[in-house]
Amino acid sequence: MVKFLKVYEKIGIFILIVAASIFLTIVSPNFRNIDTILGIIMQGSYGAIIAVGMTLAITSGGFDLSVEAVMGFTSVILAMLIPQMGFTLSIIIAILASCFVGMVNGVLITKVGISPLIMTLAMQVILRGTSLLITGGRQVVIAQKSFMTIGASKVFNIIPTPIIYMVVIFIAFYLLLNQTTFGRHIAAVGSNEQAARMSGLNVTIIKTLVYVLVAFTASIVGVIRTSQTLIGIPTMAPGFTLNVLTIAILGGTSLAGGKGNLIGTFFAGIFISMIYYGLNLLNVQIFYQFLSVGLVLLFALFVDGLRIRYLESAKVKGIRI
Amino acid sequence: MIDESKVELNSKQKAGNFIGSFGLIIILLVIFGLFSFLIPGVYFTWVNLRDMIRFSSFVGIGAIGMTFCIMTGNFDISVGSMLALAGVLGASLAPRISGVGGVIVTIIVGLFLGFINGVFVTKLKIPAFITTLGMLFVFRAIAYIYTNNTPQYIQDRFWISIGNKTFLGLPIPIYIMAVCYGIAYLLLKKSPVGRYIIAVGTNSRAATLSGINVDNIKILVFTLIGLFVGIAAVINASMLGAANPGMMGDGWEFQVITAVVLGGTALSGGSGSLGGTLLAALIIIFLKTGMSNAQVNSYWQQVATGLVLIFAVSINKLKFWLIGQTQ
Repeated sequence: MVKFLKVYEKIGIFILIVAASIFLTIVSPNFRNIDTILGIIMQGSYGAIIAVGMTLAITSGGFDLSVEAVMGFTSVILAMLIPQMGFTLSIIIAILASCFVGMVNGVLITKVGISPLIMTLAMQVILRGTSLLITGGRQVVIAQKSFMTIGASKVFNIIPTPIIYMVVIFIAFYLLLNQTTFGRHIAAVGSNEQAARMSGLNVTIIKTLVYVLVAFTASIVGVIRTSQTLIGIPTMAPGFTLNVLTIAILGGTSLAGGKGNLIGTFFAGIFISMIYYGLNLLNVQIFYQFLSVGLVLLFALFVDGLRIRYLESAKVKGIRI
Repeated sequence: MIDESKVELNSKQKAGNFIGSFGLIIILLVIFGLFSFLIPGVYFTWVNLRDMIRFSSFVGIGAIGMTFCIMTGNFDISVGSMLALAGVLGASLAPRISGVGGVIVTIIVGLFLGFINGVFVTKLKIPAFITTLGMLFVFRAIAYIYTNNTPQYIQDRFWISIGNKTFLGLPIPIYIMAVCYGIAYLLLKKSPVGRYIIAVGTNSRAATLSGINVDNIKILVFTLIGLFVGIAAVINASMLGAANPGMMGDGWEFQVITAVVLGGTALSGGSGSLGGTLLAALIIIFLKTGMSNAQVNSYWQQVATGLVLIFAVSINKLKFWLIGQTQ
């Protein structure tokens, strides 16, 4: 039992995905089609990309509520700059500007000691206001149709580009968190900041970099979404931040900090997308999607709590874990 | 025991204590003074002052329960959806069971939803943030499904008058807010429950060992959130004349949490101030109304609100730095 639970911790979300796949294969003939499956993964990739960054932030003991505003900010910068500067430069500037926002978050959180919740919440309001000011509250259409290739084309005519971005970012962040000293430092700061400081880590720089990385992932999704719609939207994706948090938590990253599960995050993003697809098949209203996401979250965490308590009691009884 | 009055404070610590006691009041007065100076005819009037306090009751009352909750070291992010669900249930039943009945149903539904949150957090042992994040989706979805996404209009005279009528020259919500804060103050300062709440927030394990039933205290705190959210729902629905399943309380949870944290309650639990919460709720509304009256572009308003929030929280940090206390 203990062994099973240890494995479950790593791949719990994967079991849910397999169950959902079997269910969808039975009820929907369309699901057996590769395009449908890739479509579902693509829909899940937006949340998953940002949730990968969010996982890092949660691992470091904080979180970031400003991601949806960063998406809108990126979108607006792109729409304003592309007519003058072309794609490459505009994208670089938009991403750098977003990283700067993340840096401001990080510096104020670490240097002034404002709690991440309040800081990133305030940043969300400030940034959304700024984006609206830049465009005067309007949505800005991007005339250059070729910009669409970035987010709305398919590699080898089959794999949508967002999936490629998701995989690349996932691998990069996975290596960063699990194979580098920086990754270990993030976990160290998250599990005990005081101890990390005492053992000579530069907590300020580590945490600031984490917030820069979250803003970076949010900015990437901002670029993808803008490219797909060809519109600069200052109020892009309202409520998306909570979705991202849900994905990271469902993936098994502990809010207490110190323990990040990027594989879980990756699959949780896809799983949420599968739920939406399944509910669309049933032709239910969008409200039922909220309901199911909420219930899945509660159920997953309830099971997780049972697992942790079983392991604890096993430890007390002297069973080797 | 050290007699605190005899402890010599240096000038830095005095400044820190001064900020701690009067920082929020000064910010409130600066905001009020600034806008009174800029737009005297519109802002600095009795009617406007009265209306601003009336509006602040919506966030102010909701923030009472949240202050308790954050003091225990927990968190409730579902209050906005809770507000909507309680509001639409009460409003939809009002035509059948009279306005008084609708108001009572709204408050009881709020109470019950808070109780459910508390039971989930304590008995199923899901962390409060995640429980209430899940409930944020669930409550909102039930509100949508129950009403089929149609606003529930309130025709009842009694319910409408709660948010809009005055009594002895003051709007009724101000009286309700005063009574709520009075009861909450007594609960926190004069009853054992208040001490238990602080004990649980300071050190939950120590509280358990000293014989406090931590689970019951937590359930009570979440139920109190529900109660105050229910009352806020009655006032909000009354002011707007309708309970809308989608719009009602959307983003409200952040306003409420902002008020509590701005008021000086530590997110780590164990300490907090109801007076601070009330002042913070007033600051938020005074600033918002002032900027609207001064015809500041609504996008600038958002930017300014965020900047003031960061500034106010930084001032609070300055206090700790001056006193030389590490958080």
